Amino acid sequence: MNPFLRHATRSPRPFPSLAREIQREMNHALRSFESGYHGPRGVYPPVNLSESAEGYVLTAELPGVSPEDIDVQIEGATVTLSGQRKVEYAAGDGVAVHRRERQSGNFRRAFELPAEIDLDKASARHKNGVLTLELPKSPAVQPRQIEIETR
Amino acid sequence: MSANENLEIQAREKAEVLTEDTRPGLLFKPDVDILEHPDAFVIFADLPGASEESVDIQLEKGVLTLDARVAESAGDHEPRYAEYREGGYHREFRISDEIDAAGVSAKMRDGVLELRLPKSAESRPRRIEVAAA
Repeated sequence: MNPFLRHATRSPRPFPSLAREIQREMNHALRSFESGYHGPRGVYPPVNLSESAEGYVLTAELPGVSPEDIDVQIEGATVTLSGQRKVEYAAGDGVAVHRRERQSGNFRRAFELPAEIDLDKASARHKNGVLTLELPKSPAVQPRQIEIETR
Repeated sequence: MSANENLEIQAREKAEVLTEDTRPGLLFKPDVDILEHPDAFVIFADLPGASEESVDIQLEKGVLTLDARVAESAGDHEPRYAEYREGGYHREFRISDEIDAAGVSAKMRDGVLELRLPKSAESRPRRIEVAAA
């Protein structure tokens, strides 16, 4: 059902408080139940996946990453996103940094989708800092309406 | 430019803003960088999903308010899995009197807002030339 669960990583805590752990798991389960929301997996960028009969739509929040710094590879049912997020501004003499919350660095994620992708029809667009991949399923795995002949 | 360029980025959950807001939808506190140049303050804010038209910036009584509405993505697709939530953005900054409110400018690129708040002429550092006697 969930192709990404294998990416789940949890920092090992030797002696977690059981009550807190249960509470946390319950909150987590409740949120997931409400919206399919699991929260970020620690790996950048966070992604959302939706599906229709024809294909998948994978979106990733990549503000400040220009399209030329994003690399998308598709092979079979595997989609790999990699690139670099640069946080650049003209620093120099007399420039003071008061807040620095925006992160920079490299990223790389691979996803295995439940069905093969039709490479020729796959497309990507980047708008307002959100990358959207349209990933049509390969014709072999798409549901087909079979006509019933009447005699 | 920065030393940590080769580090892997850690994905963080967007911080939710709980306001007394009667409008529906979620609001998040955007990540920002704030720089001070000799002649201006510059704020960069990550607003993924927000378009230029959706961003509203107000400077009133020394408080700079940044608001952005993000339309939920529509389509006939069934959500299957989500690591981030969609919503608007809201953050307030207390600004000192030394800002020239009329000169504030903003631009958006790839979901990042760049706000330039020029300092008023009186508050800019000035170099006093020492004349040779």
